[in-house]
Amino acid sequence: MTQLYVVESADFLFLQHQLQMTPGNLSTHLSKLEKAGYVEIVKEFIERKPHTALKLTKKGRDSFKEYQQKLKQVFSNLPK
Amino acid sequence: MSKKNSLRAIEKKTYMFYHQDGLLDIFIGIYVLLFGIGISLMTFTDFSTWFVIPAIFPAIMIPIWISAKRRITMPRIGYVNFGVRGVNKMMAIFIGLMVAGLGVFMVFGLGASMGEGWALTLRDFFVSNSMLIIGIGALSVSSIFAYTMGLKRLYGYGLLIFVLFFTGHFITIPLEYVLLTIGFVITVSGFVLLMQFIRKYPLPQGDEINVQESV
Repeated sequence: MTQLYVVESADFLFLQHQLQMTPGNLSTHLSKLEKAGYVEIVKEFIERKPHTALKLTKKGRDSFKEYQQKLKQVFSNLPK
Repeated sequence: MSKKNSLRAIEKKTYMFYHQDGLLDIFIGIYVLLFGIGISLMTFTDFSTWFVIPAIFPAIMIPIWISAKRRITMPRIGYVNFGVRGVNKMMAIFIGLMVAGLGVFMVFGLGASMGEGWALTLRDFFVSNSMLIIGIGALSVSSIFAYTMGLKRLYGYGLLIFVLFFTGHFITIPLEYVLLTIGFVITVSGFVLLMQFIRKYPLPQGDEINVQESV
Protein backbone atom coordinates (compact mmCIF):
# COMPACT_ATOMS: atom_id res chain seq x y z
CA MET A 1 0.00 0.00 0.00
CA THR A 2 2.81 2.43 0.95
CA GLN A 3 4.66 1.74 -2.28
CA LEU A 4 1.55 2.35 -4.39
CA TYR A 5 0.70 5.44 -2.33
CA VAL A 6 3.83 7.32 -3.46
CA VAL A 7 3.20 6.67 -7.19
CA GLU A 8 0.25 6.90 -9.56
CA SER A 9 0.47 3.26 -10.69
CA ALA A 10 3.00 0.46 -11.03
CA ASP A 11 3.04 -3.00 -12.50
CA PHE A 12 3.39 -6.38 -10.84
CA LEU A 13 7.05 -6.84 -11.77
CA PHE A 14 8.02 -3.43 -10.39
CA LEU A 15 6.25 -4.05 -7.07
CA GLN A 16 7.80 -7.50 -6.83
CA HIS A 17 11.32 -6.01 -7.16
CA GLN A 18 10.60 -3.16 -4.79
CA LEU A 19 9.05 -5.32 -2.08
CA GLN A 20 11.40 -8.30 -2.56
CA MET A 21 8.45 -10.69 -2.48
CA THR A 22 7.81 -13.93 -4.35
CA PRO A 23 5.13 -13.72 -7.09
CA GLY A 24 2.81 -16.05 -5.17
CA ASN A 25 3.12 -14.09 -1.95
CA LEU A 26 2.55 -10.75 -3.68
CA SER A 27 -0.45 -12.15 -5.59
CA THR A 28 -2.08 -13.23 -2.31
CA HIS A 29 -1.57 -9.79 -0.75
CA LEU A 30 -2.89 -8.02 -3.84
CA SER A 31 -5.96 -10.26 -4.10
CA LYS A 32 -6.89 -9.40 -0.49
CA LEU A 33 -6.34 -5.69 -1.08
CA GLU A 34 -8.45 -5.88 -4.25
CA LYS A 35 -11.27 -7.64 -2.37
CA ALA A 36 -11.18 -4.88 0.26
CA GLY A 37 -11.49 -2.32 -2.55
CA TYR A 38 -8.10 -0.72 -1.84
CA VAL A 39 -6.29 -1.74 -5.02
CA GLU A 40 -7.40 -1.72 -8.65
CA ILE A 41 -5.88 -4.46 -10.80
CA VAL A 42 -5.92 -3.99 -14.57
CA LYS A 43 -4.89 -6.94 -16.72
CA GLU A 44 -3.89 -6.15 -20.27
CA PHE A 45 -1.63 -7.27 -23.11
CA ILE A 46 1.26 -5.06 -24.16
CA GLU A 47 2.99 -6.21 -27.34
CA ARG A 48 1.31 -9.62 -26.93
CA LYS A 49 2.72 -10.06 -23.43
CA PRO A 50 0.50 -10.18 -20.31
CA HIS A 51 0.81 -7.12 -18.13
CA THR A 52 -0.72 -6.44 -14.72
CA ALA A 53 -1.08 -2.77 -13.77
CA LEU A 54 -1.86 -1.83 -10.17
CA LYS A 55 -3.06 1.37 -8.56
CA LEU A 56 -4.62 2.47 -5.30
CA THR A 57 -8.33 3.23 -5.50
CA LYS A 58 -9.74 6.41 -3.91
CA LYS A 59 -10.92 4.28 -1.00
CA GLY A 60 -7.41 2.80 -0.69
CA ARG A 61 -5.75 6.20 -0.75
CA ASP A 62 -8.18 7.64 1.82
CA SER A 63 -7.78 4.61 4.08
CA PHE A 64 -4.00 4.89 3.89
CA LYS A 65 -4.18 8.59 4.84
CA GLU A 66 -6.44 7.72 7.77
CA TYR A 67 -4.07 4.97 8.88
CA GLN A 68 -1.19 7.46 8.64
CA GLN A 69 -3.06 9.93 10.87
CA LYS A 70 -3.92 7.26 13.42
CA LEU A 71 -0.35 6.02 13.54
CA LYS A 72 0.89 9.59 14.02
CA GLN A 73 -1.57 10.04 16.88
CA VAL A 74 -0.47 6.79 18.54
CA PHE A 75 3.19 7.84 18.44
CA SER A 76 2.49 11.39 19.65
CA ASN A 77 0.56 9.98 22.64
CA LEU A 78 3.45 7.79 23.75
CA PRO A 79 5.15 8.93 26.99
CA LYS A 80 8.60 10.44 26.39
CA MET B 1 12.15 9.05 11.28
CA SER B 2 8.72 10.69 10.91
CA LYS B 3 5.98 9.16 8.75
CA LYS B 4 6.36 11.95 6.17
CA ASN B 5 10.11 11.31 5.94
CA SER B 6 9.52 7.57 5.52
CA LEU B 7 7.18 8.20 2.58
CA ARG B 8 9.73 10.59 1.11
CA ALA B 9 12.43 7.93 1.51
CA ILE B 10 10.26 5.36 -0.30
CA GLU B 11 9.55 7.86 -3.08
CA LYS B 12 13.29 8.55 -3.48
CA LYS B 13 14.05 4.82 -3.46
CA THR B 14 11.48 4.34 -6.23
CA TYR B 15 13.05 7.09 -8.39
CA MET B 16 16.51 5.64 -7.73
CA PHE B 17 15.38 2.13 -8.65
CA TYR B 18 13.73 3.24 -11.89
CA HIS B 19 16.72 5.32 -13.05
CA GLN B 20 19.47 2.84 -12.15
CA ASP B 21 19.64 1.72 -15.81
CA GLY B 22 21.97 4.59 -16.79
CA LEU B 23 19.83 5.66 -19.77
CA LEU B 24 19.33 9.13 -18.31
CA ASP B 25 23.11 9.49 -17.88
CA ILE B 26 23.79 8.36 -21.47
CA PHE B 27 21.40 10.93 -22.92
CA ILE B 28 22.59 13.77 -20.67
CA GLY B 29 26.19 12.84 -21.50
CA ILE B 30 25.53 12.82 -25.27
CA TYR B 31 23.75 16.17 -24.94
CA VAL B 32 26.76 17.76 -23.21
CA LEU B 33 29.09 16.11 -25.77
CA LEU B 34 27.07 17.70 -28.60
CA PHE B 35 27.59 21.15 -27.08
CA GLY B 36 31.33 20.43 -26.86
CA ILE B 37 31.42 19.18 -30.48
CA GLY B 38 29.37 22.19 -31.62
CA ILE B 39 31.71 24.72 -29.98
CA SER B 40 34.73 22.82 -31.36
CA LEU B 41 33.26 22.97 -34.88
CA MET B 42 32.67 26.69 -34.47
CA THR B 43 36.24 27.23 -33.24
CA PHE B 44 38.04 25.08 -35.79
CA THR B 45 35.83 25.17 -38.90
CA ASP B 46 33.79 28.35 -38.49
CA PHE B 47 30.58 26.27 -38.48
CA SER B 48 28.44 28.93 -36.82
CA THR B 49 25.09 27.12 -37.00
CA TRP B 50 26.32 24.40 -34.57
CA PHE B 51 23.65 25.33 -32.02
CA VAL B 52 21.07 23.61 -34.25
CA ILE B 53 22.53 20.22 -33.21
CA PRO B 54 21.83 20.45 -29.45
CA ALA B 55 18.61 22.36 -30.15
CA ILE B 56 17.04 19.50 -32.14
CA PHE B 57 18.61 16.79 -29.96
CA PRO B 58 15.76 16.58 -27.37
CA ALA B 59 13.15 16.23 -30.15
CA ILE B 60 15.04 13.26 -31.59
CA MET B 61 16.28 11.70 -28.38
CA ILE B 62 13.18 11.83 -26.15
CA PRO B 63 11.25 9.28 -28.32
CA ILE B 64 14.43 7.13 -28.45
CA TRP B 65 14.78 7.37 -24.63
CA ILE B 66 11.13 6.33 -24.14
CA SER B 67 11.60 3.44 -26.56
CA ALA B 68 14.83 2.35 -24.79
CA LYS B 69 12.99 2.46 -21.43
CA ARG B 70 10.25 0.25 -22.93
CA ARG B 71 12.67 -2.26 -24.46
CA ILE B 72 15.44 -2.38 -21.84
CA THR B 73 14.12 -1.25 -18.46
CA MET B 74 10.45 -2.23 -18.34
CA PRO B 75 10.82 -5.91 -19.27
CA ARG B 76 13.46 -6.26 -16.55
CA ILE B 77 12.19 -4.28 -13.57
CA GLY B 78 8.65 -3.37 -14.57
CA TYR B 79 6.88 -0.08 -15.07
CA VAL B 80 6.01 2.73 -12.71
CA ASN B 81 4.01 5.85 -13.39
CA PHE B 82 5.05 8.62 -10.99
CA GLY B 83 1.86 10.48 -11.83
CA VAL B 84 0.99 14.14 -12.01
CA ARG B 85 2.42 14.83 -8.53
CA GLY B 86 5.86 13.47 -9.44
CA VAL B 87 5.96 15.26 -12.79
CA ASN B 88 4.70 18.49 -11.22
CA LYS B 89 7.42 18.43 -8.60
CA MET B 90 10.14 18.09 -11.25
CA MET B 91 8.48 20.75 -13.40
CA ALA B 92 8.21 23.07 -10.38
CA ILE B 93 11.96 22.76 -9.71
CA PHE B 94 12.79 23.22 -13.40
CA ILE B 95 10.49 26.22 -13.86
CA GLY B 96 11.70 27.71 -10.55
CA LEU B 97 15.32 27.52 -11.70
CA MET B 98 14.45 28.94 -15.14
CA VAL B 99 12.51 31.85 -13.64
CA ALA B 100 15.31 32.58 -11.13
CA GLY B 101 17.91 32.53 -13.93
CA LEU B 102 15.80 34.70 -16.24
CA GLY B 103 15.06 37.08 -13.38
CA VAL B 104 18.76 37.58 -12.67
CA PHE B 105 19.53 38.13 -16.38
CA MET B 106 16.65 40.58 -16.78
CA VAL B 107 17.61 42.63 -13.73
CA PHE B 108 21.24 42.86 -14.82
CA GLY B 109 20.35 43.27 -18.50
CA LEU B 110 17.93 46.12 -17.81
CA GLY B 111 20.31 47.72 -15.33
CA ALA B 112 23.21 47.47 -17.76
CA SER B 113 21.19 48.82 -20.70
CA MET B 114 20.15 51.81 -18.59
CA GLY B 115 23.81 52.42 -17.86
CA GLU B 116 23.48 51.73 -14.12
CA GLY B 117 26.93 51.56 -12.59
CA TRP B 118 26.18 48.65 -10.27
CA ALA B 119 24.68 46.58 -13.10
CA LEU B 120 27.64 47.26 -15.39
CA THR B 121 30.05 46.25 -12.63
CA LEU B 122 28.06 43.09 -11.96
CA ARG B 123 27.81 42.29 -15.69
CA ASP B 124 31.60 42.64 -16.02
CA PHE B 125 32.00 40.44 -12.95
CA PHE B 126 29.73 37.78 -14.49
CA VAL B 127 31.54 37.89 -17.83
CA SER B 128 35.02 37.66 -16.32
CA ASN B 129 33.99 34.87 -13.90
CA SER B 130 31.57 33.01 -16.19
CA MET B 131 33.40 29.66 -15.85
CA LEU B 132 33.22 29.87 -12.04
CA ILE B 133 29.56 30.92 -12.09
CA ILE B 134 28.57 28.14 -14.52
CA GLY B 135 30.44 25.63 -12.32
CA ILE B 136 28.68 26.78 -9.14
CA GLY B 137 25.32 26.89 -10.99
CA ALA B 138 25.74 23.35 -12.35
CA LEU B 139 26.75 22.06 -8.92
CA SER B 140 23.66 23.70 -7.35
CA VAL B 141 21.24 22.45 -10.04
CA SER B 142 22.55 18.88 -9.99
CA SER B 143 22.48 18.87 -6.18
CA ILE B 144 18.82 19.97 -6.17
CA PHE B 145 17.91 17.16 -8.62
CA ALA B 146 20.11 14.66 -6.74
CA TYR B 147 18.35 15.48 -3.46
CA THR B 148 14.84 15.47 -4.96
CA MET B 149 15.24 12.27 -6.96
CA GLY B 150 17.57 10.49 -4.53
CA LEU B 151 20.07 9.92 -7.37
CA LYS B 152 23.36 10.27 -5.50
CA ARG B 153 25.50 10.03 -8.65
CA LEU B 154 24.15 13.46 -9.70
CA TYR B 155 26.16 14.93 -6.78
CA GLY B 156 29.23 13.34 -8.37
CA TYR B 157 28.44 14.79 -11.80
CA GLY B 158 27.83 18.21 -10.22
CA LEU B 159 31.16 18.03 -8.43
CA LEU B 160 32.96 16.95 -11.63
CA ILE B 161 31.44 19.88 -13.55
CA PHE B 162 32.34 22.28 -10.76
CA VAL B 163 35.96 21.05 -10.53
CA LEU B 164 36.46 21.24 -14.33
CA PHE B 165 34.93 24.72 -14.66
CA PHE B 166 36.76 25.91 -11.52
CA THR B 167 40.09 24.61 -12.91
CA GLY B 168 39.20 25.97 -16.35
CA HIS B 169 38.76 29.44 -14.87
CA PHE B 170 42.20 29.52 -13.27
CA ILE B 171 44.34 27.76 -15.88
CA THR B 172 42.20 28.82 -18.88
CA ILE B 173 41.00 25.52 -20.35
CA PRO B 174 38.86 26.14 -23.48
CA LEU B 175 35.13 25.63 -22.85
CA GLU B 176 34.84 22.94 -25.57
CA TYR B 177 37.44 20.72 -23.84
CA VAL B 178 35.63 21.08 -20.52
CA LEU B 179 32.29 20.14 -22.13
CA LEU B 180 33.79 17.23 -24.09
CA THR B 181 35.37 15.83 -20.89
CA ILE B 182 32.15 16.17 -18.88
CA GLY B 183 30.04 14.64 -21.67
CA PHE B 184 32.47 11.77 -22.14
CA VAL B 185 32.62 10.92 -18.40
CA ILE B 186 28.81 11.04 -17.98
CA THR B 187 28.20 8.96 -21.16
CA VAL B 188 30.76 6.32 -20.17
CA SER B 189 29.38 6.10 -16.63
CA GLY B 190 25.89 5.73 -18.16
CA PHE B 191 27.04 2.80 -20.32
CA VAL B 192 28.75 1.17 -17.31
CA LEU B 193 25.51 1.52 -15.32
CA LEU B 194 23.54 0.07 -18.26
CA MET B 195 25.85 -2.97 -18.46
CA GLN B 196 25.57 -3.52 -14.69
CA PHE B 197 21.80 -3.16 -14.90
CA ILE B 198 21.45 -5.69 -17.75
CA ARG B 199 23.67 -8.16 -15.85
CA LYS B 200 21.81 -7.64 -12.57
CA TYR B 201 18.33 -7.94 -14.07
CA PRO B 202 18.25 -10.50 -16.88
CA LEU B 203 15.11 -10.74 -18.98
CA PRO B 204 12.52 -12.95 -17.24
CA GLN B 205 11.76 -16.14 -19.16
CA GLY B 206 8.27 -17.07 -20.44
CA ASP B 207 7.07 -18.76 -17.22
CA GLU B 208 8.26 -15.90 -15.05
CA ILE B 209 6.28 -13.42 -17.15
CA ASN B 210 3.12 -15.50 -17.01
CA VAL B 211 3.28 -15.90 -13.25
CA GLN B 212 2.15 -12.25 -12.98
CA GLU B 213 -1.18 -13.38 -14.33
CA SER B 214 -1.89 -15.39 -11.20
CA VAL B 215 -3.12 -12.22 -9.46
